[in-house]
Amino acid sequence: MVLEATMICIDNSEWMRNGDYSPSRFQAQSDAVNLICGAKTQSNPENTVGVLTMAGKGVRVLVTPTSDLGKILACMHGLEIGGEMDLAAGIQVAQLALKHRQNKKQQQRIIVFAGSPIKQEKKTLESIGRKLKKNSVALDIVNFGEEDDAKTEKLDALLAAVNNNDTSHIVHVPPGPNALSDVLISTPIFTGDGEGGSGFAAAAAAAAAGGVTGFEFGVDPNLDPELALALRVSMEEERARQEAAAKKAAEETSKQEKGEGQPSGTQDATMTEHASVGTSEADNKTTDLMDDDNALLQQALAMSMDEPATGHEVRDTDMSEAAADDPDLALALQLSVQDSTSDSEDQSNVSKLLTDQSFVSSILASLPGVDPNDPSVKDLLASMQSQSEPQQKNEDKAPKEEEKK
Amino acid sequence: MACLHDHSCEDHDCSTDWSLYKHIDLTKVTALNESVPGSVKSVFKAWEQRLSSSEEHLESNEGDPELLVYIPFTSDVKIKSISIVGGADGTSPSKMRVFINRDGIDFSDAQGMQAIQEWDLAENLQGVLEYQTRYSKFQSVASITLHFPENFGGDTTQIHYIGLKGEATQLKRDVVATIVYELMPNPSDHKARSESGGGLSHVE
Repeated sequence: MVLEATMICIDNSEWMRNGDYSPSRFQAQSDAVNLICGAKTQSNPENTVGVLTMAGKGVRVLVTPTSDLGKILACMHGLEIGGEMDLAAGIQVAQLALKHRQNKKQQQRIIVFAGSPIKQEKKTLESIGRKLKKNSVALDIVNFGEEDDAKTEKLDALLAAVNNNDTSHIVHVPPGPNALSDVLISTPIFTGDGEGGSGFAAAAAAAAAGGVTGFEFGVDPNLDPELALALRVSMEEERARQEAAAKKAAEETSKQEKGEGQPSGTQDATMTEHASVGTSEADNKTTDLMDDDNALLQQALAMSMDEPATGHEVRDTDMSEAAADDPDLALALQLSVQDSTSDSEDQSNVSKLLTDQSFVSSILASLPGVDPNDPSVKDLLASMQSQSEPQQKNEDKAPKEEEKK
Repeated sequence: MACLHDHSCEDHDCSTDWSLYKHIDLTKVTALNESVPGSVKSVFKAWEQRLSSSEEHLESNEGDPELLVYIPFTSDVKIKSISIVGGADGTSPSKMRVFINRDGIDFSDAQGMQAIQEWDLAENLQGVLEYQTRYSKFQSVASITLHFPENFGGDTTQIHYIGLKGEATQLKRDVVATIVYELMPNPSDHKARSESGGGLSHVE
């Protein structure tokens, strides 16, 4: 919220007819200028902004620094393109305009849009920069339009001469699909020296990120803050309600069945998304249980075997329709079944390896300090083997049953 | 610490003489062409500390010896004399021009305008020299602007201490002209009651 007087220097030379920024360079520049004026006047109501043109017959001040946004926007109409830009004269006139500002407490800032090639020498620009620095005037440069190494070099030198403690910035905008104003919104020219964007800049940035259509919910939070707030609150409430419903559904399924994770039916489109989430959650629970408690798993699987035929009838009738309608849900169910089978296979592979005597002894031999012929080690191995066998039997049974499905 | 003025110091205490720095509105002191923004505030200190060069001092930008210092006071003062302690190796200022009761002066203004008074300074590393003013012109000073256009040949100009001798009146200049009214309420300017820890207001 720095109290600032700003002079914006517009390039209205012949080079601005070019269409590499849509709709034309000049139009893109005008949009950017309008946005900047709005941002400045919003961030502090006592900020003033003035505009001047650098090309045409000569440097011409369109409006002296004022806080009246309407006056500034009005003067942007009917500007003519022509002539060549005179950067040095433009900056000097801007400095003069700022010197005679009404409120001496305001910080001075010049924003320059440099679209056409620059005639002046680098030395001239550097001395101008030093003079600006001496009088504590900050300078922001928007380098767009003509891409020219000499131009970039000169502008960088100018910035280096002016910059005092990072109050001045330069932005290079190459031609592309993004509008000039969108690119500028995220730069320090808008956000103002890292203080954090004003509400205007933040809202505009959100709009730019979200797409050309406009602000969140299609309502400008600046124009109608209450409506925007009401919409946001109702959206959050809806989301919270859906999450609560999904959670409840997921709990129900994990209680009843572990093999399938079908939620209690709803027709909501979002609900089916939650359904596939619930499915994968139940699936994870399934694999965990396998590790821990095989007996329970037996029971669960048995139940799920019995039920698939009756499951659909027992459940809400909606459910079958939902499953039939939604190919995603059906796919999710299939995947969950496949996952559980592959997991069990992995398990059995590992246990098979363990039971292989020769493999185990080879591992033990590689371990230092363990003698495979030691009787205690042999006992251990034997006990392990006996333990793994029933486990293996269970494992074999389970996949077979699953395959029966 | 012996006072090096050519008078007997038992009669008065030098430090109270040079105490006008207490009446300076330090938050509003600004300088143009300083290399470190805000360093100008460090040159206003008590007489005894005028030679302690360990802290920061005011230095101009590289290659440019001009300095402009704007000093507003909290009340109107009368200034009898000014003392400047510069830096070594030719970085001391060689000329001083002074403007009274004008704010927002920049270098082009300062170079064009007629100063109230001008002095040729000497290198004053010990802080013993003082420059007397034409007292009749310095009777009700609300703000003073010091312009140092040249130095003794150094690359930059350094100032370690600016001392002002005089008396402060309790009068304040009329400042209504410089008030800017709020056009729109600015929430950050107003601390909410909850933030300032207050509850209900009450009438006693």
